[in-house]
Amino acid sequence: MKKKLNISAALASATCALLHPYASANEMLEGWKIDTSLMYYGETDRVSAVEAVIAGQKDFGEEQLLSGKIVIDTLTGASATGAVAQLTAQTVSRPSGEGTYTVSPGETPLDDTFKDTRVQLDGQWTQPWSDVSRITTGLHLSTEHDYYSLGFNGSYAHDFYNKNTTLSAGLAYSYDVIKPEGGLPVPFATKTASINTSEDYDDNEDDESEDDDDDNDNYDNDERLGSSDNKSTVDVLFGLTQVMNRRMLMQFNLGFSEISGYSTDPYKVLSIVNEQGLTQSLVYENRPDSRTKTFAFWQTKYALDFGVVDFSYRFATDDWKVDSHTFDSRLRINLTDSSYLQPHFRYYNQSAAEFFHPFLMEGQVLPEFATADYRLGEMSAYTFGLKYGTKMDNGDELSFRLEYYQQSPKNAGFTEPGTLQDVDLYPSVKAVIAQVNYRF
Amino acid sequence: MRQFLLSLLVIHISFTPLSLSFAQEMAAPDFAISNAQLPNKLSDLKGQVVYLDFWASWCKPCRKSFPWMNQMQHKYAGEGLQIIAINLDTEAALAKAFLDKVPAQIPIVYDPKGKVAKGYELLGMPSSYLIDKKGKIRFAHKGFFTRTEPLYEQELILLLNEKE
Amino acid sequence: MLKKARITVAFLISTQLVGCVNLGVQPWERDLLAKEEMALDSEGNDLGLDDHIYFSKEATSGGRAFAGGGCGCN
Repeated sequence: MKKKLNISAALASATCALLHPYASANEMLEGWKIDTSLMYYGETDRVSAVEAVIAGQKDFGEEQLLSGKIVIDTLTGASATGAVAQLTAQTVSRPSGEGTYTVSPGETPLDDTFKDTRVQLDGQWTQPWSDVSRITTGLHLSTEHDYYSLGFNGSYAHDFYNKNTTLSAGLAYSYDVIKPEGGLPVPFATKTASINTSEDYDDNEDDESEDDDDDNDNYDNDERLGSSDNKSTVDVLFGLTQVMNRRMLMQFNLGFSEISGYSTDPYKVLSIVNEQGLTQSLVYENRPDSRTKTFAFWQTKYALDFGVVDFSYRFATDDWKVDSHTFDSRLRINLTDSSYLQPHFRYYNQSAAEFFHPFLMEGQVLPEFATADYRLGEMSAYTFGLKYGTKMDNGDELSFRLEYYQQSPKNAGFTEPGTLQDVDLYPSVKAVIAQVNYRF
Repeated sequence: MRQFLLSLLVIHISFTPLSLSFAQEMAAPDFAISNAQLPNKLSDLKGQVVYLDFWASWCKPCRKSFPWMNQMQHKYAGEGLQIIAINLDTEAALAKAFLDKVPAQIPIVYDPKGKVAKGYELLGMPSSYLIDKKGKIRFAHKGFFTRTEPLYEQELILLLNEKE
Repeated sequence: MLKKARITVAFLISTQLVGCVNLGVQPWERDLLAKEEMALDSEGNDLGLDDHIYFSKEATSGGRAFAGGGCGCN
């Protein structure tokens, strides 16, 4: 017991300090259920992230619950810029304007300046409204060097038929500020310092000498709209949870989202190519400043004699014309009274956004909106994972999770001109997820 | 006028949180008891105030109700109070594991198939019924809350002070 | 593919519902539902981390809410 309190004191004092700096750690931590996780996410040759989560929940008795969460994540590595690969080497400038980097022939251009640390805080309070209903209110805060988000949420849940049926309705509002490195790019403005070199790539050094003059200011030669912009999101959610029988529980959720504000990714570009498939220039992308989304979600949990089956399906659609289907399933197999193994399989696919273009053709009129970000293109993805968990004598639980996630972007029907047919415009993204959890 | 008063009564009852007070007194459904400390059936306890508590090992609030029930049994046994804890676990082993951690100084009756529970039309877990000396259910509670312990104690005292 | 998916889902839903003529259970029959692993948010951290990964790498976000089920106590 003493050891438990010391670990609690050490790890959760950060959470409690924010709520009540002068209370003694032990006093604050009584009755808290803490769940901690450390996760590593690594894509081959691309982005890697390390994420740490500390989530706590305290029952104040009489159905009043306080829960809080702190997430800290650091991101490093490179992500696709949206530009197409070429048969020859390409030189591209960094978003901040600080220097250029060279992309080898056949390689998808990746921007490697993504080193970021994000801190997220969530707090939630649940209060009974009557003996068959509850209200929940929550706060959300997230901050990283170029993005800030503040959100509020509230929901009401009502039980019927001896809690066999629960209906809930929730509303959430979020206000985000984006302050990209190098300022906001003008849509479709040409990104400077993108030169095709016909020489063979044999130089590993980044060419920084050309940009010495620009080191003094934060902006490169490109025109900028301003330094920051914002975006608001309103979410409405309706939920129905139904106990089907002694072993089975189902949940149906219906959600609507309205996003308005700056939705463009300021770091992404599109390649303008000629009929031979050679990149002539890179232009900044542009996305609509509003998005209306709808989703339907259904989940079932079934208690087996040896474990639990968890299966869910989500259908989503929006006015950007991205339709997606997600199938997620987990099978928990209890090995002993205190340990289990849980395989996990997830399948996802989405259709391309209306304004998705893998590249733009030279000479054609520019569309109003365009993006080459593969995350808005047609793609399917699957995840295979395995989790192992064990409960210790003192009630604490330790678990490990290892997953493999592969995204396979697809051609949504664009004909590739000239040499673009000889490069891979839709490379797969493969990632490994490794995570350890400790619950006490 | 009568309809108005009746609807007022109905509205009052529907807004009473947590504890349901029956407008009419319902006779407590009888059932057989197989416990050495108790008589063969519930109706044999007429003349005493009976507190029936329906519980299960998986019910978290039950962990708080036992210490209170133990306390009440000690305090009022002399005045004719009999608390009976009726277990609804499908397997007795689970109930015994719970009792190892949460000791009970009140007799336990096992109802694994829920036959007795069905008779009492439980609305939630845990559920408790206060039966007066005449064998009628006077108070029914759904759930267990530490803040209502004094209220429940008042109800016990009220019933104990009644004449048979 | 989409049509196949829809048919599969419809089939799965109907097979689930066929076995349930009377929906719901009595309060004392919630022993299995009360188990920690049967809670809809039993793996809160995993689900949150996954949501973050998929929100960052895919075009869709959201889905779950965590009310209902459980032991039904109080």
